[in-house]
Amino acid sequence: MKSGDDKYRIMLSGYIDGELTDEEKEEIERHLKSCAECRTELEAFQKLKEVTGAMKYADIPEYVWENYWSGIYRRFERGFGWILLSIGVMILLAFAGYCLVRDFFLNSNEPLLLKFAVGAGGLGLIVLLVSTVRERLFAYTRDRYKEIQR
Amino acid sequence: MKNEDNDDCRLMAEILAGKKSAMKMLVERYKKRAYFLALGMVGSSDEAYDISQEAFIKVFKAAGSFDRNQRFFPWFYSIIINLCKDSLHRREKHESREVNIDDNTFLLVDARNPETILIKEEEAACVRNAIMKLDPDDREIIMLKHFRDISYEEIAVLLKIPKGTVMSRLYYARKKLAKLLNEIR
Repeated sequence: MKSGDDKYRIMLSGYIDGELTDEEKEEIERHLKSCAECRTELEAFQKLKEVTGAMKYADIPEYVWENYWSGIYRRFERGFGWILLSIGVMILLAFAGYCLVRDFFLNSNEPLLLKFAVGAGGLGLIVLLVSTVRERLFAYTRDRYKEIQR
Repeated sequence: MKNEDNDDCRLMAEILAGKKSAMKMLVERYKKRAYFLALGMVGSSDEAYDISQEAFIKVFKAAGSFDRNQRFFPWFYSIIINLCKDSLHRREKHESREVNIDDNTFLLVDARNPETILIKEEEAACVRNAIMKLDPDDREIIMLKHFRDISYEEIAVLLKIPKGTVMSRLYYARKKLAKLLNEIR
């Protein structure tokens, strides 16, 4: 086999991790005797393993771990609360809209001018609300610095 | 399945039934694993903390879709990694990468390890920088093998790839890491 054979190079990983079968181990060891390139690569990988083996991820203080569960539960509870609140507000708004149409807009005793004023005002409010929400969403998705802690 | 896996499945069934104590037990069992996996991917403790908590919330919300014939951890792992990759993608998109990474703190020289004398702080800094320069997929496999010391068989389960592919992916990731280290030194 050529020294650049991918099969042996890939086996180097399994060799340093002790993941090869006895047969594969013998095969790569035989190859290493005759391939300087693979020996150099093996040394680099072993050095890498040695260096990373002497490192560990930094832990966080114990009191932070103690509050971990309560943090999750609060977030979960709040998420659930927001869903319920949104459902409630949507139902109330829909009902209010229905009542407004039934008791005001369909009521022939109410002056037409007043109906027009309330209709225009309501429509204007909806347009402003939609426009503001859209602007906020647009700004949020393009804010380069939103993840920076202030 | 092992005892731990059976316990996880029982906890998931209890979570689905709305039992708060089961949620807490699951969190206590996996919180550190979740946090350190996320930390290895995003390199920021605040972000890793948020991602790990978000992953648990996703588990609670999606408890109904969990297949109890499968192991819990690989399912949970894919939730964490997807959240990490989303976060890295957002970071890349908003070019705020340098702001979030705890370059000097997320990986430390292990003072309890007798081999520590072999590694100096400058070397550790090079490793940290090189790891954060790897692609997320390469960083993921390096993290699993080098810092979590997970077997190829388990990595294959977590990444949903054949064991032989683990070996080749690890080879190419190590090659890139070694090259980056040489460039940084």
